[in-house]
Amino acid sequence: MPPPLLTIQNLSVGFTGSNGTTNALHDITIEVNRGELVAIVGESGSGKSVTSLSILQLLPTPPAVYSSGKILFTDNDSTTDLLKASPAEIREVRGNKIAMIFQEPMTSLNPVYTCGNQVTEAILAHKNLPAEEARQQALELFKKVQLPYPELIYNKYPHEISGGQKQRVMIAMAMSCQPSLLICDEPTTALDVTVQQNILELIKQLQLENNMGVIFISHDLGVIANIADKVVVMYKGRIVEQGMAGQVFKHAAHPYTKALLACRPALYDKHERLPVVKDFLPEENTAPATPAKAAEIKPVVHHTFRQPLLSVHNLRVWYPAEKNFFGKPLSYIKAVDDISFEVYSGETIGLVGESGCGKTTTGRAIAGLLQPTGGNIVFDGEDLVTAGKAVWKKIRKDIQIIFQDPYSSLNPRKTVGEAIAEPLKVHNLYASAAQRREYVMALLQKVSLLPEHYKRYPHEFSGGQRQRLVIARALALQPRFIICDESVSALDVSVQAQVLNLLNDLKKELGFTAIFISHDLSVVKYISNRIIVMNKGRIEEQGNAEDIYYRPANAYTQKLIAAIPAMPY
Amino acid sequence: MVQFIIKRMLYGLLVLAGVIVLVFLLFIGFGDPVRLVIGQTGDKATIENIRKELALDKPKWQQFLLYLKDVSPVSFHSKEEIASKQLKGIFIGGDTKFAIKLPYLRRSYQTKKNVSEVLMEALPGTLVLTSAAMFIAVLIGIPLGVLAAVKQHSIWDTSSIFASVLGISAPSFFVGIIMAYLFGFVVSGYTGLHMTGSLYEVDPFNGRQLQLQNLILPALTLGIRPLAIITQLTRSAMLDVLDQDYIRTAYAKGLTAKRIIWKHALRNALNPVITAVTGWFAELLAGAFFVEYIFGWKGIGKVTVDALEKLDFPVVMGSVLLTALFFVFVNLLADVLYRVVDPRVKPA
Repeated sequence: MPPPLLTIQNLSVGFTGSNGTTNALHDITIEVNRGELVAIVGESGSGKSVTSLSILQLLPTPPAVYSSGKILFTDNDSTTDLLKASPAEIREVRGNKIAMIFQEPMTSLNPVYTCGNQVTEAILAHKNLPAEEARQQALELFKKVQLPYPELIYNKYPHEISGGQKQRVMIAMAMSCQPSLLICDEPTTALDVTVQQNILELIKQLQLENNMGVIFISHDLGVIANIADKVVVMYKGRIVEQGMAGQVFKHAAHPYTKALLACRPALYDKHERLPVVKDFLPEENTAPATPAKAAEIKPVVHHTFRQPLLSVHNLRVWYPAEKNFFGKPLSYIKAVDDISFEVYSGETIGLVGESGCGKTTTGRAIAGLLQPTGGNIVFDGEDLVTAGKAVWKKIRKDIQIIFQDPYSSLNPRKTVGEAIAEPLKVHNLYASAAQRREYVMALLQKVSLLPEHYKRYPHEFSGGQRQRLVIARALALQPRFIICDESVSALDVSVQAQVLNLLNDLKKELGFTAIFISHDLSVVKYISNRIIVMNKGRIEEQGNAEDIYYRPANAYTQKLIAAIPAMPY
Repeated sequence: MVQFIIKRMLYGLLVLAGVIVLVFLLFIGFGDPVRLVIGQTGDKATIENIRKELALDKPKWQQFLLYLKDVSPVSFHSKEEIASKQLKGIFIGGDTKFAIKLPYLRRSYQTKKNVSEVLMEALPGTLVLTSAAMFIAVLIGIPLGVLAAVKQHSIWDTSSIFASVLGISAPSFFVGIIMAYLFGFVVSGYTGLHMTGSLYEVDPFNGRQLQLQNLILPALTLGIRPLAIITQLTRSAMLDVLDQDYIRTAYAKGLTAKRIIWKHALRNALNPVITAVTGWFAELLAGAFFVEYIFGWKGIGKVTVDALEKLDFPVVMGSVLLTALFFVFVNLLADVLYRVVDPRVKPA
């Protein structure tokens, strides 16, 4: 039997910092054969990206330290240890024998060179060809990755094409020297579901055509279940389980794998509480015990929501696309084009759609963060579009927004206590600083954090904790209406489950009305009573959450739901 | 792109119009220039004559229109006017001619010379000095910044930062004196340089002569601060860019570090550097008063300071207008450069 294409043997990687070395990988062993797709699954901090970057030696050293192990790459019957290869040898492997595609197609291409130029460059780095020949090959590759109008895209800059097209350019670049191993680091995470489906098909097809080995890194179990031959589950820098895909998905042995499989919101109905990793891993319970919240949430009764708290009429948000010489707009990009809907007191509305469909713009228009071009937004009897400063001052307290990225939505120079207390101060809610402080501490406890956290800075918290801080800040004013803009999209599945549980608990306790904006239909189905599906600035379909999810009437909704990777096991 | 440039030029014209109004208000709008022209003495008749000559007997708004007519490159002039003001350009028509001309900046109160001539005489000196200084600054500053960023935390990095902090904090009049004294006097025997001198020197035997070696010391002195600032900006922009995903992509392609740094990283890091380079260029064009003064370099800066000393307002006004023109032009240049370097930049 020939040796595997790539063997990672007992690899340990650490990072040196001001307080010694922290280990990112402990004793990892993975084998990849030609023609095999090995998926590495895990959450942020599990070490999956460190593993993939180690193979091509793309981690800056220092701070990275390879403390032990080997990475053996076999090509044409000769085996090299990539960890010991010289810079020239490793350069010969990079992009030539082993190629890599990354998570963010938006930032992974150099913005100042054309797509064609960047692919041609990859070809010329390893092959001695005349420039025209390289150009022809690049165009061939563009055709192979099914880019429309290869000639046109060749001369386009990355910002001029869509995310899916950029990822195709990246794949063309990776395939340029027919590598024997392709490493895909979360290649579809930043893309819409429908685009994701096409890219996955393309990767699978290229793998079969070229008999490549593929290492596919993802946090999305649905994606992995659909394409992987072998699955490696990583947790905190260790491999906790690996085996054939069917084996791992059907008979998960390790509790963490079980937890990952269990906490996907798609599997649950609204009244069910999502399980979290803690429920499966007993040792995780050493963390400070959260206040007992075991009380089962009562099924959300189908309230007869009669009173519309918010009604949106013919809302339009247009941006000028082209202007003539005197700055007069000639045509518009219609981000939101004539949409109308109502939100009833006490319900949660899910707003779904792909990127660019106008869901976030709608949310921002309601929160008053941008000025609509036309239409009305009536909240509690006041038209927000024409409302003056005084009305807004009153209404701001009632409408709060929770943003997507908990890393950038907290001011890094402010302690979390100050951040949460700030809106209270603005609205003169408590007489003294001490009272505000007391209230904020109670609020921190409400979102399962500790009062001691008051004086800490945002960077001291994990992603999930930060999102809870942002929720606490939004809730500080006891708003009647909350807009969650992709509030759980940046979080790992297990953390996402915690935050969704928290939102459900708080909603039950405080009884606010919410708009939940997301691209993830299964999350939206889980959390909302009604769903509005948006596409290209318009509403495609609205209705009961279950009806839309299980019995979509509209063709676009059907397409969206069909594109969600189903669990085949 | 063409539309963008035309638009920018129109904006530039507006800026210049604003400057003309300001200049007029400051130097002619208030006070009595006649006193400046003739000094303490002079009888009533002379004063009246000068008033008439400078059109000071007319109301202020008419004076402004006349001034505008003089500086505007497109205007109408009578035959006598063209002759007396020695206007240069294309004139069409009979007695009153339509003119496309070089702006007429009037005459110096002191020397009676045409202000345009005075400025044009000084302009080459300033242009050459400024270009040389910026050339030095860019040629050394950018590679030094790149080096510091690539070898972050190394001795290269720390010493280039140290040197640039020194360069930023040293005032040019101080550096200028030190340079002139050291290289133009103490070791003059080896360097062959003089403490002062201009681009052209008048030699009693050979007449006007180009003296390029006189450029070295003032250009170095003038270049030090922009050099230091360009180094720091390049360094911080490069550090930022080297962390980007597309740099990792470039490494994953198997490119050499050299190619990645100079082709992929530097071009992305250039935007703040362009801002600094063009900003400094305009500023230096406007007159490096101290340096020109110390080295006795004939340039706009020196001419302006001399004119101010003698309250020779037409010269000062002309130099202010010229400076404004420089700024408008250089800003236009910067806007065009941004778009050349970064295809994402779209006209606002």
